[in-house]
Amino acid sequence: MQPSRREFLKWGTVSGIVLSMSRYAGAQTPGFADGQGLSGGVPRSPAKGRVDGVAKVTGAKLYPSDFRAADMPGWPAETAHALLVRTPDATHIYDGIDLSALDAASRPAVVVTAEDLAKAGVKVPPFYAGDLFCPRGQTPLYLGQPVALLLFTSFDAYDRARTAFRNGNLLRFGVETGPIKQPNYAALRFTRVAGATPDAPDLYSPVQEGWVSPGFMESSGRPLWKPLPVAQGGDYAKGATFGEEIRQSLATPAPDMVVLDRTFETQSIDPMFLEPESGLAWFEPGSQTLDILLGVQSPFEIASAIAFLLGEAQPGFKPARIHARFTSIGGGFGGRDHTPFPLYVALAALFLPNHPVRLAHDRFQQFQGGVKRHAFQMRSQIAIDRTTGKMMAFAADHVLDGGGLANYSASVAVVGATAAIGIYDIPKVDVTTVAEHTRGVAAGSMRGYGTLQTMTALEVLIDEAARELKIDPIELRRRNLLKTGGRAMTGNPWTVSVRTPEILDKLAAHPIWRDRGARKAAARGVLVGTGVACCTKDYGTGADCSLGRVEIAPDGAITIHADAVEMGNGIGTSIARRVAAILGRTADSVNVARINTFDELGLVTSGDPYTMTQAEQDAAAKNPRWVPEISSATSASIGAHVGTQAAAQAARIVFRFGMWPAALELWGIKPGDPREFLFEEAFWQANELILSGLPPLAQAAVAARAHQRGDVTGAMAHAFSRWAWAQAAFPLGGMNWAADIDALAVRRGAGAFTVLDRSFVFFPPTDYNRIGTAFTSSCGTAVRIEITPASGLVRITDAYSVFECGEVLVPELVEGQAQGGFAMGVGYTLLETLPPFEDGPGNGRWNLGDYVVARASDLPLHKLEIEVLPPVSPKEPPKGMAEVVMIPIVPALLNAIHDATGHRFQSLPVTPDMLKRVLT
Amino acid sequence: MTALSLTINGRAHGPVEVRDDLSMNDFLREVLGMTGTKFGCGAAQCLSCVVIIDEPGGTSYTNPTCVVPAINFNGKHIRTVEGHAQGGVLTPLQTAFIEHFSFQCGYCTAGFLNEGQVLLERLAAEPIPRADLEQTILEALDGHLCRCTGYVRYHQAVRDVILADAARYLQAEAGMTGGAAPAAKGDRR
Repeated sequence: MQPSRREFLKWGTVSGIVLSMSRYAGAQTPGFADGQGLSGGVPRSPAKGRVDGVAKVTGAKLYPSDFRAADMPGWPAETAHALLVRTPDATHIYDGIDLSALDAASRPAVVVTAEDLAKAGVKVPPFYAGDLFCPRGQTPLYLGQPVALLLFTSFDAYDRARTAFRNGNLLRFGVETGPIKQPNYAALRFTRVAGATPDAPDLYSPVQEGWVSPGFMESSGRPLWKPLPVAQGGDYAKGATFGEEIRQSLATPAPDMVVLDRTFETQSIDPMFLEPESGLAWFEPGSQTLDILLGVQSPFEIASAIAFLLGEAQPGFKPARIHARFTSIGGGFGGRDHTPFPLYVALAALFLPNHPVRLAHDRFQQFQGGVKRHAFQMRSQIAIDRTTGKMMAFAADHVLDGGGLANYSASVAVVGATAAIGIYDIPKVDVTTVAEHTRGVAAGSMRGYGTLQTMTALEVLIDEAARELKIDPIELRRRNLLKTGGRAMTGNPWTVSVRTPEILDKLAAHPIWRDRGARKAAARGVLVGTGVACCTKDYGTGADCSLGRVEIAPDGAITIHADAVEMGNGIGTSIARRVAAILGRTADSVNVARINTFDELGLVTSGDPYTMTQAEQDAAAKNPRWVPEISSATSASIGAHVGTQAAAQAARIVFRFGMWPAALELWGIKPGDPREFLFEEAFWQANELILSGLPPLAQAAVAARAHQRGDVTGAMAHAFSRWAWAQAAFPLGGMNWAADIDALAVRRGAGAFTVLDRSFVFFPPTDYNRIGTAFTSSCGTAVRIEITPASGLVRITDAYSVFECGEVLVPELVEGQAQGGFAMGVGYTLLETLPPFEDGPGNGRWNLGDYVVARASDLPLHKLEIEVLPPVSPKEPPKGMAEVVMIPIVPALLNAIHDATGHRFQSLPVTPDMLKRVLT
Repeated sequence: MTALSLTINGRAHGPVEVRDDLSMNDFLREVLGMTGTKFGCGAAQCLSCVVIIDEPGGTSYTNPTCVVPAINFNGKHIRTVEGHAQGGVLTPLQTAFIEHFSFQCGYCTAGFLNEGQVLLERLAAEPIPRADLEQTILEALDGHLCRCTGYVRYHQAVRDVILADAARYLQAEAGMTGGAAPAAKGDRR
């Protein structure tokens, strides 16, 4: 099986419903229903800052939770409200809601239950498989599963009912059944045995042999990992045989080997983005249009999922068209990627036609229903040669609590497993992983995505090994680094720059590390400890794409459209910066979360990019409009690499076939002049185009001439990456112009966009789906802490993170991501936890206060040093960095705690009580 | 039901009949449509919902709106994020937040802006020694949660606004001439 981050999608029309998608156009403009607008109009933006800076400091309506019906032109003025009721129990028969506890003024106008959905004929999209509502008479599938949607035509009624549900248990339950048992979501084994020399082919690897799953379960539900002499074990048996040999060597090590065998547990946490999920929708039966406003990381996916949901519904519940509008979001961190929440927003509108309906979680509901980070249980074994300090073999077994819905559990299991040996080159590796169904709140995507958990366990293990071997921890890491061209544990090399040697050198030379002994010796009244860790994080999903459209006006003004979503990562600012370097001017208008401005490309898709065969891909690619995927989810970690790609490529085409010919004419350079093709040598400086030996040209003058000539003044492009960019050639300027895009339309002068047929296309082979990690960035962290024994409180006194991300588009955004990642890492290590099951968030009683995230006073605000390595060359493209900057914080802190206390904690978080127990 | 009258960003509202248990946050967001004030937790823990309350004596403080009934604000003068910029001109703190890239998603920004503004006004009235500055900012802002940024750039922005006009916000250091300009209580420069 191949876990997929997405399900089948098509463009334009899904399940017979016409889809259109746009950014909500009014979203950037402050304005209020009764004239509460900003005094004196919208302020001018400072010269420096984010493109959405003014909107965010003036309280403009930006986020889904800001909009009501009255804010939407053409909608009815009144907003109705929906309350999604979720179960706090998943071990007893659900026996309905007791609405008699609500007084007459707080009764809903409509109650929607599982039975109503069945009658309406809605169909749950495959990714969200599981009952949208628990039917009466059944045990809920998981804690927090919705049981009903209550619809109110007045806010006051809704508000009173919301309070009543929060304060009293209005759900009825019958006999105890225990939790529902469901199959686990995934079980996979990744085994690699290297050849005798680094150049020799692997004896076994997932890239060579394919990914394998045991397909057998013990009575406990766990897979049976041994090779089985039966047909169903076929391919699996071969890998498992190699894997068991590795296990045997770890169980009976040679005398010159040090073997460590440790367990590590990580906790469930909440993404805790500050804006709870929210949406607004209006179904107008006359026009059969569902208008819906949402804030998600995956707009194209969720619009398609809603169409799938309603595609076979009964008359009255199936819209002819869906117009989805997308806004900025108040944080995401993965937790708004493929969340089922928008499905309920759509249902609320369908069951209260003619009324715009708002569904908004409060924080209790967000804890109860929002996707969580997976809790991991891990066992890790490592064998290291005592003489050389070389890591010879590694084995691990991971068990993930996936909660009650599959969501991204299989994918997180894979990413965590294939990251299990981190930055190291280990010739024998065997990792099993199983993502379990439980009755917990569903777990899904969150920053770090499995690697946070497995690399924390690894980097703590390496620290312990270094002490056991009496080798400096940085030196032990240095001896075992995976080098450029070396093979990762799936058997493929990383295909990007590998900067871990420099990162380790930086850590070793930093005063936090260098002075660790002296600072420890000088401690008075506190325990001082220092820790380091170095991690890497893949970026991209193996099927990432980007849509970008760039236009230049006769006065040089630049307009950009892109499909990426603004989730706080500054994607609009990054795209503008990348395009500015190519077209000589910061964009005057940047429009993100746009899908509808690319119609001219006429894209079509079919199949699943993760599971399709090479033959299927080859056949489909003959259609010049076909791409493997049209639009993918936004995550901060691929923003720079993926989100900016199509716009940057479009800008290059505008430059090469619009601005450059215009510049040649202005310079008086005729065809045949050797300078005709020196476009790579030209560069922009202070809005002027410079080519050595020629007078600088004003950007506006070049743009004006391009328009006069009727050359290319606009381009829209689609890019697709499966661990390498798809490449295609297009007829431009009398040649076949090749670029890292697979679809292109251009505009000449003031004309309309015209799609160009590609004359050649190369899509990355489908075998690349066997790759675990190919694009990766690395980060190292050193921390110094002080622990007060009497209280067990940890104070981080100094911290240093050093990382690499290729070309830095916006230094302030990159540094800000690292600072935010540090805070999230501290919270994960020391503060945040959600217990499983009945005491956990599914019970509906969790909020901030009980759940503690890092505040400023928990952090070394003035002693946190961030260093970004310069790119390896001026042409190195941007690399993802928003996830990796969080990861080494966690093991570095744990290693520092060990250094301070002599105790090695093997679970998270490490609380003051736990520290007090080992210190007294 | 109670008749509620209050002044928001210098403009009188009401009297308007509201439920006694309607939260101030819902009054702003649902009744007035003023959604610049955010809802984060409903438990006064994240402080993304705070507004500024201006006292008759010229002092100001912030107050959460999510757990406080709207009627508790009867007769009050409050400021919200929508009221900071005047005449189409951003305040120094708004400008600093943008130029420092202080926020990412921006959902907590209204709360930080209100808290930071109150701090500036307090320091203008009662300057502090330079040596106390970072700790004073920390104590003022520490109740506010931000999940994106790690707080560093918010604190830098507030500090830089103060240092850019040190004579107003900080006590004169020994050996230096001049000092903090006398500031009236409630000075909102």
